[in-house]
Amino acid sequence: MAKGQRKLLDVMKKRPLILDGATGTELQKRGMPAGVCPELWCIEHPEVIGAVHGDYARAGADVVYTCTFGANRFKLGQYGGPDARSVNRRLALIAKEALRGKALIAGDIGPTGHFIQPFGEVDFEEAVAVFKEQARGLLEGGVDCFVIETMMDIQEARAALIAVKETCDLFTMVTMTFERDGRTLNGTDPLTALTTLQALGADSVGCNCSTGPDDMVRFIGAMKPYATIPLIAKPNAGLPKTAGGTTVYDMDASDFAGRAGALVSAGATILGGCCGTTPQPLAALKKAVARKKPAAPLRKSLSALSSARKTLLFEPGRPLAVIGESINPTGRKALQQELREGKTALARQMARDQETAGADLLDVNVGVPGIDQEKAMQDLVQALSVATALPLVIDSAKAEPIERALRVYPGRALINSISGEKDKLRKLLPVAAKYGAMFILLPLTDKGIPETAEKRAVVVRAIEREARKHGFTRDDFLVDGIVMTAASNPKAPQETIRTVRWVTEIFGARTVVGLSNVSFGMPERKWINTSFLAMAAASGLTAAIANPAGEELMFVKMAADVLDGRDRDAAAWIAHCAKAAGGGKKGAAIEALPPERKVREAILDGNREAVTGFVGEALKAGLDAAKLAQEIMIPAIVEVGERFGRKEYFLPQLIASGETMKIGMELLEPFLKEGMMKAGERGTILIATVKGDIHDIGKNIVALMLRNHGYQVVDLGKDVAAERIVREIGRHRPQVVGLSALMTTTMTQMKEVIALARRNGENCPFVVGGAVVTKAYAESIGAEYARDGVEAVQVIQRMVR
Amino acid sequence: MDRLITFERITIEPPLEAIYRRLGYRKRLTQIKPGEARALGESIEQARSLITLKGAARRLPILSKDSRLIRLPGNLRLESTHLAALLANSQEVLLLGATGGAAVIEAIRRDTAADNLTRAVILDAAASEMVDAALDWMEAFFTRNLRRESRRLTKSRFSCGYGDLALENQKLFHDLLDLRRFGVELTEQYILVPEKSVTAVAGIETTH
Repeated sequence: MAKGQRKLLDVMKKRPLILDGATGTELQKRGMPAGVCPELWCIEHPEVIGAVHGDYARAGADVVYTCTFGANRFKLGQYGGPDARSVNRRLALIAKEALRGKALIAGDIGPTGHFIQPFGEVDFEEAVAVFKEQARGLLEGGVDCFVIETMMDIQEARAALIAVKETCDLFTMVTMTFERDGRTLNGTDPLTALTTLQALGADSVGCNCSTGPDDMVRFIGAMKPYATIPLIAKPNAGLPKTAGGTTVYDMDASDFAGRAGALVSAGATILGGCCGTTPQPLAALKKAVARKKPAAPLRKSLSALSSARKTLLFEPGRPLAVIGESINPTGRKALQQELREGKTALARQMARDQETAGADLLDVNVGVPGIDQEKAMQDLVQALSVATALPLVIDSAKAEPIERALRVYPGRALINSISGEKDKLRKLLPVAAKYGAMFILLPLTDKGIPETAEKRAVVVRAIEREARKHGFTRDDFLVDGIVMTAASNPKAPQETIRTVRWVTEIFGARTVVGLSNVSFGMPERKWINTSFLAMAAASGLTAAIANPAGEELMFVKMAADVLDGRDRDAAAWIAHCAKAAGGGKKGAAIEALPPERKVREAILDGNREAVTGFVGEALKAGLDAAKLAQEIMIPAIVEVGERFGRKEYFLPQLIASGETMKIGMELLEPFLKEGMMKAGERGTILIATVKGDIHDIGKNIVALMLRNHGYQVVDLGKDVAAERIVREIGRHRPQVVGLSALMTTTMTQMKEVIALARRNGENCPFVVGGAVVTKAYAESIGAEYARDGVEAVQVIQRMVR
Repeated sequence: MDRLITFERITIEPPLEAIYRRLGYRKRLTQIKPGEARALGESIEQARSLITLKGAARRLPILSKDSRLIRLPGNLRLESTHLAALLANSQEVLLLGATGGAAVIEAIRRDTAADNLTRAVILDAAASEMVDAALDWMEAFFTRNLRRESRRLTKSRFSCGYGDLALENQKLFHDLLDLRRFGVELTEQYILVPEKSVTAVAGIETTH
């Protein structure tokens, strides 16, 4: 281990390690003009950046960052594109010259300003190459360690970390920037960032920038119980404010330092300052925590998987995890075809469906003969990374697709699987170790599948011994109980259960089974699968590969969680039952009302499901259809309009009531005679969204409202040419014509329609509306104006009268 | 010209307050029953699953400007007194574009045809607000980066068709942001299709 690195680790055993404060803030104070490239300006003014470095070392920083935050090929490209490697080397040398051993030097790597695949357009390997270029320059300049900082995108942080780790083995810190809501802009929470980055080999993880120290206490607190490495907090000097055209921060030195104790108590071992902090608050911070001994990591390993947005912990007492099995082309012709064509739409849909059905993880398999499985796996994993928040299980019989997937996957994945076969062990254990993946330990060897639990235990121990050589612990794998078909060997299911029990109770690791194999060849397979799941759950099973769309299976899983104490207060069970019941039905109170009141309440409540029954009930009770329409339903819908006018109702309620009314009126229609509110008896209204405009939701609302008030509505749709509107006027002879438009460019079409109608001798009145339409504009083109659907009905009633 | 920055997937939570407001909800006035709130929540969740937010952005230096005309590289020009006022202290512009994709529009069409206008209206409102929030998200992304350059974005942004910035400028935005890569087309009337697609321009100013 290098001397600098040893010093860094020694300090952390005694007191918090202190990083420097803001560089940009200091450079601006010392004359760096706005708009220049800070890195290039520092190369031209080494004395200024040297003085900043020196001041931070004097203030007590143990580690000072090189001024290379934006010294990557992309950002330097904005300033003429000097060679990134030499810029980094030069700036590291300037730091070295200025500090002369007074503080350690961290090679600083910031974001490129671009998003990396799958979240952006930059190819993952291009990003790794860009960061490697930077890392090599910094290394040549003699840095003692690295810091990858201010990352908003976990994939970019991964690319940078892989680049550094593939360049050298120096201590590497990674800090993400979380918003006040506790996620990065790209949606990664602190625990998920930690899970992914510490597994990938970061020596320290934490947060910088974005918020002041108060919010960071929460972020550090969320990470600490799961961290196997020291945590970093490098907050801004409070929150930014603009004062006189300049950004300032709302904490002074003592405020800032006063918060440091809370950060250490929450679990931070490495502290510093970001935007707005200067040597003064940094010195105060160091003094404030000088006697505080940071807490060592609380654990040595973590059994958890992550996507870019979510972490799944395999901790005792957690619910049994369901691994959705659908994204597997075996026996699925449509998926096979899609994979052959290089498409991912069906797989993405399957991912969303399984997520909705309650899966916790998704198995991904691209095993179609004759295709480039490495590419297919990479493309699919990238597509699924954005389509679902669930962590992925990389399932392949070959090592190469697994390696490709692990490299580009923006989380910590689970490999399915690593067996005791020599070739697999040799190829896959180093890959799993490099990318920090968990794996399913499949207890079989080149000789085949051991029949009994005892023989499987021997293989489990042998694979574990090999895995330990690569740094794995029992937290890093799930042992497959190996499910064999009950139809061919009645004793096989019991051996699986015994294996699960042994692993859980004796060996002390986690387990997984692929459920459906147990029922192969049997009728009514779902009952066998479900019963087997219950038995395995009772034996301590951690995860099951299954189809989450199976209603029985999910109910049994949830019930087993309750009975096994894995669902606290049965909260998940209750939520699952409520969801399955469709969110509950209307209360009993309405059932006690007379039939006509039920109809009224259904309209007021927008209860489309119930109105059919209520109208039928009212007719059966002898109520006259016309009376029901005129004395109950029309007043009810008028009242809805009034409530909308008073803002007691909002749009969804107005429309739900309108749709309920429509259903009710359609039911009454056969019983109504002429002159008794029959559909269309109040007259015909022709409506259209004008040519060029495709926004028609408002027009559709107006049509619904008008129909409910007894008008026949001829709806011509959207993007309708003036000539057609005028032609249809001649055909339907409407009492009123309604026109809608959303855009300023299309609004002018209204004028043309009216002018053309008049030229053709049509004298019908027009009413217009839409987002940009005003009363004044309506008047200027000789039309009436209505603000919304309710007002349209009122205006048209007046016009028709 | 700066490299186009694209965001293949913008992950944001539906901005519930804005969606409710767009649907006419008013605090202390509108009364929603628990069942209605649940149904609304489910429709918004459905919108979330149908909307795939993608975005693109490009920084361009302002070559010259007066009270009406902003000249950009490549003989590009934006004419608008309102925009010129917004960009009075800006040295660069940031062009932004975002789309929610076609799936949600298709769902709105299907719901409308199937007499479920209630859900169509909720999907419509959720999509509009989520696309707008995607622009906010991109602005937040650039704000973080610009702070390091002692720069910031103007407090507001401007879209074609508003004030005196003609909708015809949409073509310039559509081309420069290469929105076709996301399947967004421009009609003869300069309307972006699919419907839930937006563009905007903000200014970039130095802060000291």
